[in-house]
Amino acid sequence: MESFSRSVFLLLALLSVSQCKSTLPKKTLVLLENLYMKDTHSIFFEDLKSRGCQLTFKLADDPNLALSKFGEYLYDHLIIFAPSVEEFGGTVDVQAITDFIDNGAGNVLVAVSTEIGDILRDLGMEVGIELDERGTAVIDHLNYDVKDRGDHTLLVVDPGSVIDAETIVGKKTKTPALFQGVGMTADPDNPLILEIMTGTTTSYSYFPGDPIKEYPHAVGKGTLLIAGLQARNNARVIFSGSIDFFSNKLFASPVLKSVRSGSEFKQSCNQELAKAISQWVFKEKGVIRVSSVKHHKIGEKEPPSAYTIKDNVHYEIVIEELVRGQWKPFMLTDVQMEFFRIDPFVRTYLNKTANKKAYYADFMLPDVYGVFQFKVDYNRIGYTHLFSTTQVSVRPFQHTQYERFIPSAYPYYMSAFSMMIGLCFFTFVFLHYRDKEKKE
Amino acid sequence: MSSENIVSVVQQFLQSYRSKTPTKLKLVDAYLAYIMLTGIIQFVYCALVGTFPFNSFLSGFISCVGSFVLGVCLRIQTNPQNRSQFLHISPERAFADFLFAHVVLHLVVINFIG
Repeated sequence: MESFSRSVFLLLALLSVSQCKSTLPKKTLVLLENLYMKDTHSIFFEDLKSRGCQLTFKLADDPNLALSKFGEYLYDHLIIFAPSVEEFGGTVDVQAITDFIDNGAGNVLVAVSTEIGDILRDLGMEVGIELDERGTAVIDHLNYDVKDRGDHTLLVVDPGSVIDAETIVGKKTKTPALFQGVGMTADPDNPLILEIMTGTTTSYSYFPGDPIKEYPHAVGKGTLLIAGLQARNNARVIFSGSIDFFSNKLFASPVLKSVRSGSEFKQSCNQELAKAISQWVFKEKGVIRVSSVKHHKIGEKEPPSAYTIKDNVHYEIVIEELVRGQWKPFMLTDVQMEFFRIDPFVRTYLNKTANKKAYYADFMLPDVYGVFQFKVDYNRIGYTHLFSTTQVSVRPFQHTQYERFIPSAYPYYMSAFSMMIGLCFFTFVFLHYRDKEKKE
Repeated sequence: MSSENIVSVVQQFLQSYRSKTPTKLKLVDAYLAYIMLTGIIQFVYCALVGTFPFNSFLSGFISCVGSFVLGVCLRIQTNPQNRSQFLHISPERAFADFLFAHVVLHLVVINFIG
């Protein structure tokens, strides 16, 4: 008996631990190429630590690497800052990382350089991003920084080339960013890929210094410098073609374009951009959820077992956003609700309630009965996919709810009765006539 | 030429109808004509007014169609010329069937009409 109560207590303790998991520090595995990177990228890592990430630094070829143990994932996030690695140590490989994304809904930040190894290119293919070969770099002869060594690969990226989504890249600035690394391409029809930072119309990806003999892997605006993926399970992945993008050197570097030079900027916006991107990829921003759904007839409190067609219905949904570990009401104006049965029968914007904590819609059910769903499907760039359905059944009027006699239907009533009366007459005449015939 | 032909055909038809058709079948024909007229009136009314109480229209119209079909069946079965085909069905039996089918039809119609 005592052991039973103890196990119940343990179970409760475990439950409470798993419930407050969201406020625990996020365990993050950082795979480095060499331990010097802890110093060359220290500003970025310090920033992560200050935001509550518990960083575990390991070499990418550490023989004891493992993402999971006994079927449980050991980390919430994974950072791979090891561009040239050809093979990870331990049990980590492309399959393990894609499983981490698929099954563990883990978030992955990968930064590569021109030294890129094949395993990271394979990982890119798995998430739908094609990285260019080892030795190539994004080249732009019109937008390079004065500190460039002659290859024109230290690019000045204007804010216009950065995706217009505040949750991913933070508030708009006028300061350009610096980038040096490989280019990527992605299928433009892939709806899950986000082109976070692209090249300009004059950029392309090729071996610096070599004459161009083949068509480059990526040209113009199709050259992705930083690409993101938000998978269907809301796991987030970022591929940055440049590991230097996150380095202390570029964080602190001034920016001045060589060609058509405009004003000089004292500091690149790499630091703010890196911070915003890491906040997005590690789900500190742009995470929304449905916390409650209510629906009932107008004037009532509880949902009925079944609605009747043409009922006036009140639908209310509370959507919350994760802000610094706390769920706060999420209030935008473009949330829509559909009343759905194979096709939407009603599609309407949701209004905010008076206390600004929930959305609601009052509407009349369609004149169609069946099994319907209240459906909110909110899919916006930079936010997790919000999807909520509530199934209700809608039945036709009961016999007593119909209008009994409709004036315009009187001719039909008359005809039906005249058929019966006609039958009586006919029967009478038909039978009677036969009798008379027999007599004759 | 052809119109004269048609006129003569119609005249011949009417003449033979008057002289050869038994009076009992003429009674059935009159009943059928009445049903058909009612049905047509309803259809025109529906086309003018719209299909709003669609179930009412359907049941009113179908009661006409059903009555017409049953009347035609009765006429076929009681026609002395078809005697050879309906040896086992006497005219009395045919009329009883007719009545029974009508009872079923009107039950359905009344259920559906409103």
